[in-house]
Amino acid sequence: MADTITINVDGKDVQVPPRTQLIEALRGPANTETPAFCYHQDLKVAGNCRICLVETEGPRGWALGISCHLQTAPGLKVRTQVSSDKIVKLRKGVMEFLLVNHPLDCPICDKAGECTLQEHYMGQGKHESRLDDAVGKQYKGGADHRFLDSKGIERGGKKIDLGPSIVLDQERCIICTRCVRFMSDVAKSPQLDIAGRGDHAYLTTFPDEPLNHEYDLNTADICPVGALTGKHFRFQQRVWMLKSVESIDPSDSLGANLTIDYNNSGSEGGKVWRLMPRRNPDVNKSWIANRTRLLYQNLAVNRLTDGKKAGGDCTIEDATIAAVAALKGAKRVAIVASGHLTTEDNAAVLALAEALGGKAEVFGGSWLTVGKADGIALSGDPVANRKGVELLGIKDNLDELVAKAKDFDVLLVAGNDLWSASAEKAAKLEVIPTRIALSAWVDATVAKATIAIGIRAWAEVRGSMVNCNGRVQLLQACPVVPNSQLEAAWSVLTALSKAAAKPLTWASEVDAWKSAQARGSAFAGMTYRSIGPMGQQVALSTTTVQPVAAGV
Amino acid sequence: MTTLHGFPQPTHWKGKELPRILSGLFQVENGHTLAVAKQHGVYGTIGPMLFDKSQLELIELVKDSGLRGRGGAGFPTGMKWSFVPRGTGKPVYLVINADEGEPGTFKDRLCMTRDPHLLIEGMIITGYALGVRTAYIYVRGEMLPQITRLNDAIKEAYDAGLLGENIGGSQYSLDIYVHRGAGAYICGEETGLINSLEGFKGQPRLKPPFPAVSGAFASPTVVNNVETIMAVPYILKHGAKGYRAFGTDKSPGSKLFSISGDIVKPGVYEVPLGMSYMEFFELCGGLKGELLGCIPGGSSAPVLSADETRKATLDYESLASLKSMLGSGAITPFNTTTDVPKFLQTIARFYAHESCGQCTPCREGTGYVDRVLDKVVDGQGRDGDIDLIKDLADSYEWTTICAFAPGAAWPVQSFIAKYREHFQRYIDKNPDHAAARDLVTQRPGAFW
Repeated sequence: MADTITINVDGKDVQVPPRTQLIEALRGPANTETPAFCYHQDLKVAGNCRICLVETEGPRGWALGISCHLQTAPGLKVRTQVSSDKIVKLRKGVMEFLLVNHPLDCPICDKAGECTLQEHYMGQGKHESRLDDAVGKQYKGGADHRFLDSKGIERGGKKIDLGPSIVLDQERCIICTRCVRFMSDVAKSPQLDIAGRGDHAYLTTFPDEPLNHEYDLNTADICPVGALTGKHFRFQQRVWMLKSVESIDPSDSLGANLTIDYNNSGSEGGKVWRLMPRRNPDVNKSWIANRTRLLYQNLAVNRLTDGKKAGGDCTIEDATIAAVAALKGAKRVAIVASGHLTTEDNAAVLALAEALGGKAEVFGGSWLTVGKADGIALSGDPVANRKGVELLGIKDNLDELVAKAKDFDVLLVAGNDLWSASAEKAAKLEVIPTRIALSAWVDATVAKATIAIGIRAWAEVRGSMVNCNGRVQLLQACPVVPNSQLEAAWSVLTALSKAAAKPLTWASEVDAWKSAQARGSAFAGMTYRSIGPMGQQVALSTTTVQPVAAGV
Repeated sequence: MTTLHGFPQPTHWKGKELPRILSGLFQVENGHTLAVAKQHGVYGTIGPMLFDKSQLELIELVKDSGLRGRGGAGFPTGMKWSFVPRGTGKPVYLVINADEGEPGTFKDRLCMTRDPHLLIEGMIITGYALGVRTAYIYVRGEMLPQITRLNDAIKEAYDAGLLGENIGGSQYSLDIYVHRGAGAYICGEETGLINSLEGFKGQPRLKPPFPAVSGAFASPTVVNNVETIMAVPYILKHGAKGYRAFGTDKSPGSKLFSISGDIVKPGVYEVPLGMSYMEFFELCGGLKGELLGCIPGGSSAPVLSADETRKATLDYESLASLKSMLGSGAITPFNTTTDVPKFLQTIARFYAHESCGQCTPCREGTGYVDRVLDKVVDGQGRDGDIDLIKDLADSYEWTTICAFAPGAAWPVQSFIAKYREHFQRYIDKNPDHAAARDLVTQRPGAFW
């Protein structure tokens, strides 16, 4: 406890970290609920909503201050709503002001259920107002809910199209400037600002300029009310109908943490409705790219839900039997691992090759272009588990495979869409007569395969990936699957090991993980529990990758 | 220039000579030109008198003089200067606050019109004392003639070697820029001013850090009012004791007062601090009608009733004891014919219009109070409205980043406390005054 100091909250001494925002100390160690609208852990402090007011003792007696701006210091004495009636009264006052010009249209608001304003409003039990909305902001009450600014110009509106992804409901906005700060300080593209003064201030983009940033959907997440909503989730689901599982971005090697929000009841028989960023201060802070966020839309589209053999569709079982037969009769088998699959799946690739004995050889790598890190939530490398594959000892040697393709008579590609990444290079693999593809989608590689077996997509499996900074992170399985017959890649590979003298007998992904641990010394001692939702760093000596900065 | 009201003001009052520390050139023809200003002793300090002194000596001198900020808050000037950290490696900026916007205040405007060179002289002295290389004068956007005049004066000073490199042959160099604001009251708040100066929206900053440590361009910055800086040359010439010859012990020196309202000769007057309000009214030709009350220091200052006004004197301590403030020195006496609710409505509308919109309580509260007052004055007031606006003013009084909200709350609180029956009379005019308002909870869609 060397790194803590003692402050006094409501008469009780509490150990807190020094020089941190008081609000964090109150919410954390002091266990005192403190509301906030403008304060956000990963944004600069603005201090404008004023709801987090506390009293602190200073040289001139007790003074009011905002806990988001005050810093913890030894001996600091704080009074919160617990011991100060003044704070209770003033916070009620602030809440009243926030609600004067807020429509309280929760029943038609997408944010209802996860709205900060609604939470504190209900929390205070302030179900009646003494303020008259006829004396409010002069809303005209028309269908578009516009108001007159101080120059008499019509502003606002209920549905303002800000750009390709965001819609603004002006009358719900409480001018907390979270979105403005996000765009200027995190996205570094100040596309939003508050125009006007006083209670006629309003959020806007620059004249004739849209809000069109790769990260702009994060503004809808951090909006403490329903003013900014993402077009992809507008009027889709009530948030309290959704369940969540924790996962990571499978499309980028930073592995931004996220949750998969789904429901598995309803007329459509279950659906993933959205992906939300999950805060991890060491990886992606609170942000994910729009590209990542919209990945869920592919989960139900163009899926390989069955098998394929000799150009025609078949059941997964038939395709598996055909693949086992091909592997059994093969003289030389090339197995291609994949950085798009989990470490467990890749351990199964190695285990299968081992079981098949000397006739199998494992290749790895990807022909996809690696871009640049953006400093927020993308590393630029589309191969999410490149590091995990590397730590298992699989080499980046696809070109070697191309060079000696004619030596093989069976090619097994596990979740690595070679033909999409480089049709030109992959074409040289077509000299191999039997090509088996394991894939979640009907992709170019499936089109070129003689046998194809559908597998579960990233959202539907439990497993781990290692991000570009050497952090092992977990994916949890969302139960919404297009076909219940689908299995994870490691499970299909286990089934294919029936072609060997000693087939694999793995029962779950935990067995696959144990196999991965046996092959990669970096994973020694790690369990799913120790990795946890926030991930676990592999020993630095085993990583050679340059760290990619996350967030700001 | 046309003759301004209040001039010529008497040189003597009741046998005593009135100070001419700040207004010496106000009545001199072409006093704004360098030639005339020099004839009258402006820039007399720029030479050995200034450059033989050390920076610390100058700061001590101003501390000893007891000069206090004339912009409104009355913070001791020497103390403000002493907060500037030395040897940070960063430049120190001096910013002159000429964003005079407090309703009823028009003294700085006159200073810049009639005597811009005294301001420049004060800036050279202050700049030298603080080690400033670059100084700004932030002028309210509406004051175009004053900006022209300042620019002309600065050009004259540069041509005469009084600004720029090696002022008056010394080692000291200073550049002055005039920055034109866009006419927002809140840009008179020092951190709002700094934001605006830097090109950002004029919204006050969170403190700490204070401007003396990290102000304009993240460097130590001193923001002083025009009138404050114009008093500095006199202090240098005559010493702290010379300055203390005027005024009271705790509020030494003289101050410019802008008086308007129910007074015979409104205008700008320079009088020693400590004079009583009633005597000052006499000096200004006397009151019109029977005194009902007085705003003693700009519209933010809590109003004084007639009895309180009779007791009050023109200094910081007297008004503090009456729970009001000297503020910017804008005095507005009003007589018994005044429609008090309409008076407050005008003030409330000003604050609702000028709230920067940053903090919730001030943004929403000032607007709401304004509109309830509109209803009351329109004859649609209801019982409870008076308590409501008083309560709302209490809610936003101390809950914001800057001192705008208390400044907006005090007139509301004090007018209601002292003239409640005037408001009640308006409410009683409404035949439905006892009926409840349609509240938010009764709106369709809000069923919580």
